[in-house]
Amino acid sequence: MKRHQAQSWPRLLRDSHQTGCHFCDTLFKLQPIKEGEKADCATCGQILYHNGRKSLEYSVSFAITGILLFMLFLFFPFMRLEAQGNTVMMNVLEAVKHIWIFEGTVIAILVILFALILPLAQLLLLLYICIPLLAGKTVPGAIICARILLGIRPWVMLEVFFFGAVVSLIKVVKLADVDLLCGFWSLIAVMFCIAGTFAAMDKLELWDRIEVSRFKRKTPLST
Amino acid sequence: MSSLSPSAKELSMSICHTCGRANSAENHQCERCGTSLHMRKTDSVQRCLAYSVASIIAYIPANIWPIMNVDELGSISHKTILGGVVEFWGSGVYIVSIIIFTASVMIPGLKLLSLFSLCAVAKGWLKIDAKRATKLYYLTELVGRWSMLDVFVVAILVGLIQIGDLMSITAGPAAIAFALMVILTMLAAHSFDPRVIWDQVRKNEKDS
Repeated sequence: MKRHQAQSWPRLLRDSHQTGCHFCDTLFKLQPIKEGEKADCATCGQILYHNGRKSLEYSVSFAITGILLFMLFLFFPFMRLEAQGNTVMMNVLEAVKHIWIFEGTVIAILVILFALILPLAQLLLLLYICIPLLAGKTVPGAIICARILLGIRPWVMLEVFFFGAVVSLIKVVKLADVDLLCGFWSLIAVMFCIAGTFAAMDKLELWDRIEVSRFKRKTPLST
Repeated sequence: MSSLSPSAKELSMSICHTCGRANSAENHQCERCGTSLHMRKTDSVQRCLAYSVASIIAYIPANIWPIMNVDELGSISHKTILGGVVEFWGSGVYIVSIIIFTASVMIPGLKLLSLFSLCAVAKGWLKIDAKRATKLYYLTELVGRWSMLDVFVVAILVGLIQIGDLMSITAGPAAIAFALMVILTMLAAHSFDPRVIWDQVRKNEKDS
């Protein structure tokens, strides 16, 4: 099979393309690497870039799945608590509203921002950029969107939120009977989808793809 | 010893942090993505130290003040972070106790320690193998978000526990102080530039 010859993602060949290690500033010529391979910095050993298998397709499909599951996580009941004949069943939005009301405005804002808005925003931004890229097109504002996308990456704390939920469950179990519902399980799945989305494609690849498709449209590359 | 390959700075190139493109040093903005370029992050050591010190200041009330107030049948008890750790340990749930202790006491502490030592390395006051220092920085940046765990635990407990009049939980002031501390340490890690360490290595190599 010829598939082993699958090469790097498309990139402009008009000039020799260089990148540098963000950790030690060593300058490198961008060598095309095969799918499934990665390039390490020869000086400090940190990873420079990698070439994921079918990266764009995987990224997009993980992101779509992620968004659908995110809707389940938001709108379907998260868990049911039962204690002394009282039953409480709520989804995440109701829980956040409850935090807001009970003098926890700042905490509620943190949860909304780090665990709801930013994770959702990065999936939506990625899809906005990458679905047209599948067809080799760019959308207006793709560059700004990609910058925002990479800027909010470190502030997405959905996995931390999940472990927070697990720890608080262990606290609650002593007080009430707990049933985990759809929202909880979809949170786990969303985490995997987000991890998959961003593990699939390297950021250098994303930028190269954006650049290539813009160049095809004959728009000037820089202003 | 083989000498280090030249840095982008020495070849008067600057690497875009957002898209990885090597730009000529004259560019103020990346030719590909428009991000403003810096050869090195501005005042990285000073900024990192300033954020770290600020986060230490926030760390104190975060541990002294109650992180949540539990109202059980009218009797209010205030819980601190360490109190929660001890309580879990006492009730035999060791794993949770260890998780909370790691996420909210050890990680912030180790993180601050490693940021301070990285700053010292960058200033040349401390000698650590540059490769190790790089790895340390990588881990510091990676692990930062996890300290937010306790804030989320409080948030979720406040959100969930509303079982009639039997019990209610409200967030204490320490939750905000703690969140502030975590955000400050994340900013501190973000403003540090590990390339400064390698600049030192390259300089020493040239001198010798």
